Amino acid sequence: MRWALVVALPLVVALALLALLVLTASAERVVLVRVGIGLGVALLGIVLSLACGVAVVVRARARRMMQAAHDAVVAHAAVDRRRFLQRLDHELKNPLMAIRAGLVGSNEWSPAATVQIEAQVERISRLGADLRKLAELETCPLEWTRVDMMALLGELEQLAVEHPHAAGRQLKFTLPQVPWSLPALRADADLLLLAFYNLVDNALKYTRPGDIIEVRALETGREVLIEVADTGPGIAEADSAHVWEDLYRAPATQAVAGSGLGLPLVRAIIARHGGQCTLRSRIDQGTIVSVRLPITQGAL
Amino acid sequence: MSRSAPLLLLVDDERVIAANLGAFLERLGFAVLLAEDGRVAVELVRAHAPDLVVLDVMMPRCDGRAALRELRQSGDWTPVILLTQVGNSTERALAIEEGADDYLNKPFDPYELVARIRALLRRASPGKSPLAVAQRLRCGSLVTDRSARRAWLAGKELALTPKAFALLDYLMTHPDELLSRERLLDAVWGWEHPSGTRAVDARIAELRRALAEDATQPQFIETLAGQGYRFAAAVERA
Repeated sequence: MRWALVVALPLVVALALLALLVLTASAERVVLVRVGIGLGVALLGIVLSLACGVAVVVRARARRMMQAAHDAVVAHAAVDRRRFLQRLDHELKNPLMAIRAGLVGSNEWSPAATVQIEAQVERISRLGADLRKLAELETCPLEWTRVDMMALLGELEQLAVEHPHAAGRQLKFTLPQVPWSLPALRADADLLLLAFYNLVDNALKYTRPGDIIEVRALETGREVLIEVADTGPGIAEADSAHVWEDLYRAPATQAVAGSGLGLPLVRAIIARHGGQCTLRSRIDQGTIVSVRLPITQGAL
Repeated sequence: MSRSAPLLLLVDDERVIAANLGAFLERLGFAVLLAEDGRVAVELVRAHAPDLVVLDVMMPRCDGRAALRELRQSGDWTPVILLTQVGNSTERALAIEEGADDYLNKPFDPYELVARIRALLRRASPGKSPLAVAQRLRCGSLVTDRSARRAWLAGKELALTPKAFALLDYLMTHPDELLSRERLLDAVWGWEHPSGTRAVDARIAELRRALAEDATQPQFIETLAGQGYRFAAAVERA
């Protein structure tokens, strides 16, 4: 739009000048000669302006088309991935069911073997189901309600305190109180709590006794910023680029039980709320995960 | 017609699953018939009038949904457990139309299937359509419209969150059945909740407030310490 104005302004001025000159042209010959030159310049200006305008329009259209093509490819890839995960989950169901049925169908299995096999079947089942749920989360209908962020983070604090790893770590919740606290957001309360809980759970799991975990929130007028920071071992730069990917587990974290689906779940939930997540980390200093959620005006 | 052991019809095109689950159920005292697809299943239901059908969905020739539709359209209300996922609210709304009495997602713990079978055999009234397909349910002065997802107590509409209504609906369609928090979480939320079972407790508390229940002397929702909840009052189609 701004470009259109820049092009249109000289065009309008040139047209006005031209009209003036043509109207006054018949009055005096002397002027007529000078008009001839002026007319040439004006015509040149008009032609250049038109050319400029055409170039701008063509470029904008090309950019829009490129963006649309890019968006279509991304959307298509997301649909493909979702279908693939649903099919994978579906194809795993019957073989896993056959194993479970086989275990109870005969008496030949020792109780110890049964327990072990069942545990592994459970693990694969969970993985398949979690992957499918994660894919569904991108499109499934959410239960939008007015969510009091102070209450939600209060609940998060309660859950953090009760976490098995909470003992020995310092937990700090810093929420704005003056002159106003956090606004309410239009959100799916259960999912949002699940996202923040995953971040706190990660912080508690990957830190050592004596470490500090800080959850802080502030409001910037347009968005709510919530950070979960810890003084843990930190994530190597090469690894931190991958933490949002499905099933990724950094080599340094292999000793801690986890699915590699926690952060992708957080990202999917925050994205459905129109927000963004970023992670910054320094080895031996700690990690900060920031979540930005837009404040929707009048939509509550 | 009286039988010593309840007769089950197990329908699954995967022979390994059907044969092993069948042997397991027979060991627990059930009589079991097996079928490999929906068409055979419908014929067996008509020929043998089983007490309950466990029906897989994805099968060649005639799938489980088509078989269930055929049975229900011909007025056959034999209790059916459909082996599929009913997770989100859209699926739940569709399930009302479908006509199954209960749902179980593969792969499941075979003992969970036994618990569902026993509960369903206990609550099913022969020849009558199940609560799971009723549009409106009534329990004393409590009435729910399941498609519209609205509830009234003594004629006054209750303000319930979507989750609380879904929970109430699940409780009312499984009356007199012990429902563990894990099962409610799985059936109503569909994914694990961070506060785990506390999310269930929070919604139960919301329901009890809305229903003006005294938790120590509940009229509708009973707490079974360490086990879960049970909808204790009788539910009927409204």
